[in-house]
Order: sequence, then C-alpha cells, then structure tokens
Amino acid sequence: MSWGGFKKAASRAGTTLMQKTGQVERTIDREFAEEEGRYRTPDSESSHASFLVVTAGALGTDVVLMALRMEKESNNLQKDAKTYLDSMRAMASSQTRIAETIALFYTADRASDGAMAGHAYKAAVDELDAGVGRDLDAPFRATVLEPIGKLNSYFGQINSSIDKRNHKMIDYDAARAKVKKLVEKPSEDPTKLPRAQAEHDEARDIYNILNDQLISELPMLLDLRIPYLDPSFEAMIRCQLQFAQEGYEKLSGVQRYFADHIRDDYANGALDHQVEGVLEEMKELSIYGP
Amino acid sequence: MKGIQKALSRTPHNITSRIGMSKKSTDPEYNDYERKFAAIEAASEKMLKDSVVFRDSVSSLLVSGSSFGGSLATLFSPLGAEYNLAAKFPQAEKTVQNITVYQTLMEEMRETLTPELELIDSRIVQPCKELNDICKKIRKSCTKRDHKLIDFDRHNNSLNKLREKKEKSLKDEKNLFTVEQDFELAAGEYEHHNNLLKTELPTFLQMATRFIDPLFHSFYYMQLNVYYIMLEKVQSFADGKYDLERKDIENIYLEQRGDAAEQLDELQITKRVVSTAKMLQTHRQSSGSSHSPSITSKTSGLGRAPSASYASKKETEAYGAAPPSRTLAAPPPYTSTASTDSIKKKAPPPPPPLKPKPSYGTPKVYCTAIFDFEAQAEGDLGFRAGDRIEIIERTENPDDWWTGKLNGVTGIFPGTYTQAD
Repeated sequence: MSWGGFKKAASRAGTTLMQKTGQVERTIDREFAEEEGRYRTPDSESSHASFLVVTAGALGTDVVLMALRMEKESNNLQKDAKTYLDSMRAMASSQTRIAETIALFYTADRASDGAMAGHAYKAAVDELDAGVGRDLDAPFRATVLEPIGKLNSYFGQINSSIDKRNHKMIDYDAARAKVKKLVEKPSEDPTKLPRAQAEHDEARDIYNILNDQLISELPMLLDLRIPYLDPSFEAMIRCQLQFAQEGYEKLSGVQRYFADHIRDDYANGALDHQVEGVLEEMKELSIYGP
Repeated sequence: MKGIQKALSRTPHNITSRIGMSKKSTDPEYNDYERKFAAIEAASEKMLKDSVVFRDSVSSLLVSGSSFGGSLATLFSPLGAEYNLAAKFPQAEKTVQNITVYQTLMEEMRETLTPELELIDSRIVQPCKELNDICKKIRKSCTKRDHKLIDFDRHNNSLNKLREKKEKSLKDEKNLFTVEQDFELAAGEYEHHNNLLKTELPTFLQMATRFIDPLFHSFYYMQLNVYYIMLEKVQSFADGKYDLERKDIENIYLEQRGDAAEQLDELQITKRVVSTAKMLQTHRQSSGSSHSPSITSKTSGLGRAPSASYASKKETEAYGAAPPSRTLAAPPPYTSTASTDSIKKKAPPPPPPLKPKPSYGTPKVYCTAIFDFEAQAEGDLGFRAGDRIEIIERTENPDDWWTGKLNGVTGIFPGTYTQAD
C-alpha cells in the first residue's frame, strides 16, 4: 500500500470507530435494514458480506446484492463451462486410448472377429476425438467460454468501484462531522470553518459522483446480462447436441462388425458372465499362485 | 529373513554374471511368452486407468452440465426485484421461457445416466481391476522363476569351477558332493517353475483374449448408450426451438450477438477507477455548463447510448476542425494541492468547453499561470503555476481555449488557468 493509501485507510478506520461509538453520524438508507433482512440468505457470499453491511446510503442495497448474485452465478457458469469442455475432450481422448489398449489385447490374433471390431472401434473413436478437437473445441471457446470469461473479468473493477464509493462515503461522513463540530464549538482560528466546509463539499461531491454512477450503471449491468448471455445459451445447446450426435453416429457404425447375437448377449448379461467366467479360469491357473 | 538370505546369496552371482565372469542361461521360448505377458500386463493396467478416466469424465460432464443449467437458470430468472424478463428482453424471450426446462433436462440426463455409470464401474472397471490383480500374481511367479534361474546358474557355475579344477584338495573333493546336490536341487526347482510358466502362460494369453472380447463389447454398448441418451435428451429440447439444419455454431452466435458486449464495455464502472480529483473536475465542469448536455451524458456514465447527436453536435458546433479524438479527452484536471484556498476550491475555474480555431495576428501579451495544467492531447500547452506564457491568440472570454507559447512550444490552454498581465 502506498503512503497515501495508508493514510487514507488509517483515517477511515478512525471514522468507522467513531461511527460505532456514536460520535460520527453515518449516512444511512432506511431501506437498507429491510432489504438486508430479505436478502441475507445463508448462501449469500460470506466473502462479500463485510462490504455489504457497509454499503448503505442512497445506493440501493438490492441492486448491489443482485450484482453480487450475478457475479457468483456467472463465475459458476464459467467454471462449469470449462469443466464441460474438458470432460468432452477427456471422454473422447480416453476412448482413443481404450481402443489402443484393446488392440494390444488382440495382438495374438489380429484376424479374429474381435480384433476386426476393435479395429473399427479404434477408427471410429479416433475420428470422434479428432472431430471434437477440430470442430467443437474452438466454437465452444468462442461462443461459450470466452464470452462468459469476459463478463466475469468486469467484476473485479465493479467491486473496486463499489469499494471506492464506500471509502468516499466514510470520508464524507468524517468531513460532515468535522464541520458540525466546528459549528457547534467555533474554533479560535476563523479560517478553520470555511476550510472544513470546503473539504466537506468536495467529499460530498466525490461521494455523489461515485454513488450516482453506481446507481445508474449497476442496473444496466444487471439488465445486460440477459442479452449478453443469451446467444451463448443456444451455442451451448448446439455444442452439446453436436458432441452427442458425433459420438452416437461414429460409434453406432461399429456395431456392424459384431456378431448378431452380441447385442442380445449384452442385454441379457451373458457378456458379463463370460467376463466373470474367464477371470475365474485365470485364478485356477497354478501360476496364479495359492 | 529367508528372503534376505536368499537375496544375499544371489548377489555375488548377479554381479559376476553382469560383468561377464559367469555364464547366464536363457530360455528363448519362455522369454517370448514373458514378453507377451508383459504386454497384457501393461494393457490391463492401461485399460483400468482409461476406463476410470472415461467413467469420471462422463460423470463430470453430467455434473458440470447440470450445474451450468442451474447457474444459467438463475441468471435468466429475476434476481431480486426484477419481473417479467421475457417481456423486457424480447430477443431472449425463448431462453427466458425455456431455461427451467433446460435445467430440468440436464438434471434428468444426469439421473438417467447414473445407473449407466454404475454399470461401467461394476462391469468394466471392477473386472479390469481383477485382471490387474491376477497379472500381479502371475508376475510374482515370473519373478520366482527368475530367482530360481539365478540359483541354477550359480550352482552350475560353482560345480563347473570345481570340476575343472586340476588339483583338488581334500576339502574340494568333499565340497564337490554337496555342490552337486545343490545343483540338482536348483535345477529341479528351476525346471519346475520354468515349465509351469511355459505351459500356463500361453493358456493365460489365450484367456486374456477371451476376456477382452466380452468386455470390449459391453464397454462399447455402454459408451454408445451414454451418447444415445445425451443425444436424445438434448435433441428433445432443441427440436422445434432452433434451426437444427445449421451447424456453424460460431456464425449463428455472431449473428445473434447484439451490441450487449459493446454496451458492457461502455459502462464506467467496468473501467479502472480514475483519480477522484479528475472525476470531480469533470463532473463540475459538465454540470456547470448546462449548454452542453452531451458531456453530461458522457460523464454521468450513461454509456448505454453513445448517441449520434453527441458526436455530430460536438463536431459541428464545438470543435470545428479539431480531430474527433479530442472529444474523448478528459477536460483539464486541477490538482487539489494547487488550490488549498477554500474560496478557489468552492468555485473552481470552469474550464472552457470550446476550442476556437486559432487565428494569428493579435498583439503580443503575456499571462501568468495560476494553476498547473497538464497537456491532455497533442497541441495542448502544459505549464506549472507561475509560468509566464506569451499569448499568441486569445478571446475576450476566459472560458475559451487560448493559444500561447512557453519555452518555445506553442499550444492551446484554458484561459481560466491563467491571469492576464
């Protein structure tokens, strides 16, 4: 923190203390108490709770709370979108590795039916994986991930705008208290009152500018979330659809290489019994040990 | 303890065989089987790992998908005191109305696929784990066989050495008998283990193929089913709502994207907080000069509509030939340190909004700067309080921008910042 910043913080700390002890009057919005009770649900973010309590004054508490809620949800959105993309890619790439491994099992007999099907499977999932990397990754990033990320990048600045307004409110309170004191108990130095008055006016003006800015722009920000995020929603659905479609189409072609009864065997659990049977046989081998 | 003893007795042989002093026997047939077994061993480990990865990524896909739906549904529903969002944002009406359907759908998808994931776990991952364990035990048998081979070589070597010795002492003759016995024993054990592996490893390898067939088929159907259910769910939602013939996701996005992004960018609160002194100055200036409403709209942050009238008005009536970038520059700041005097502070000099075209030819006069002025744009003349500026061109109105010369530099500056001599 710079020296100037430190001095400001120290003088504000003094003011908040005096406000708590009742020596300095505080800018309070009557609405606040009502709104606070309504919005302070258990899930409201604790990390911001401290500044919520301070945020009083003419800035509508509900608007600030809505913006916070928006920030939280929008951050979640970004996190989930990222996980979603990563999962799609991980699904496809794990399938290609599975196909490789299956081929390893068939090295003994490359001409068997199983090996042929394994080969077809490998080709299908390779195509799927390449398709996801080529046709899905970039559009998903451009239409879902990046726009949401951009929106989230604004919140840091917005929060510091709110913080700044709150700091200036404390300055304003302090300046007002000073003037009040000088009026009630005039100082011997006649220049003190006009100077305090001027400082008071400046603090008030700065506070008002910042406050007005937030009052006019926070609702705009909230409104903009809908038109801003709307196209990403459709894009998300299209990405999901394309992924499922590609996966289903590519994979379903492999079935042709299976014997006719396999589908039924899968459905009635015969395949599972086969797997268990082989494992039992393996355990009966002498080299399996006691 | 026995293991350590064995290991110790094998160590000298290991060293000598490695440096080529003693002979090491090999069995190519066994080695071939061993290599194939190692491949299966590695494959079973990979299979286990990747089937777990597949299961987990499907699971995280479903969880993140449903959580994404939840967050989006919250964002597209009234936050707090908002109401009737669909009417307020007609372009997003479809989304606002369908978002909860989508959320339920993603939730449903997760629920439908949960048993499928359990199936993958019990029918694929578990058997792979078992195969892995079996491989580990067989590997133990292989290691045992290798140890027996070392013993065999070791005893074989000492026997040969003893036999080849030309002059055997009495002790050697006695030893020969025990060494022969040890060799017989080691040979027998090695033969047993080696033969066992040679007969059973091929059986195991064949079993492994029989294992992978049904496992692969099951796994395939499970994967297919995962994609099928996802496809069915998403399609049921998208059908009739979107033009599914089109596949160019990015273009569709770009077509639908309005100017919301630009509007967000225009907001003042999304920008870095400027110095409050500057902000105050800007504000006072704009609220003080009611004849230029365009500035007010700018500074009070109504960035939503950078109106066309703003630009055109400015250009025609205010700035004339000045470059358009000039309209965006902040008005001259004044630093609070420069004016501690309360009277000056209460009535700061309203900096002139106008910049007249310079017209030369006025008599040479000077003025003294009473405030610091930092150049805001190209063509501005910066100075410190107390500087004497040669006036090249000035108007009667101190609210105007004057042209002056200081230290050989010519530029324009706000007249109110100076006092004529």
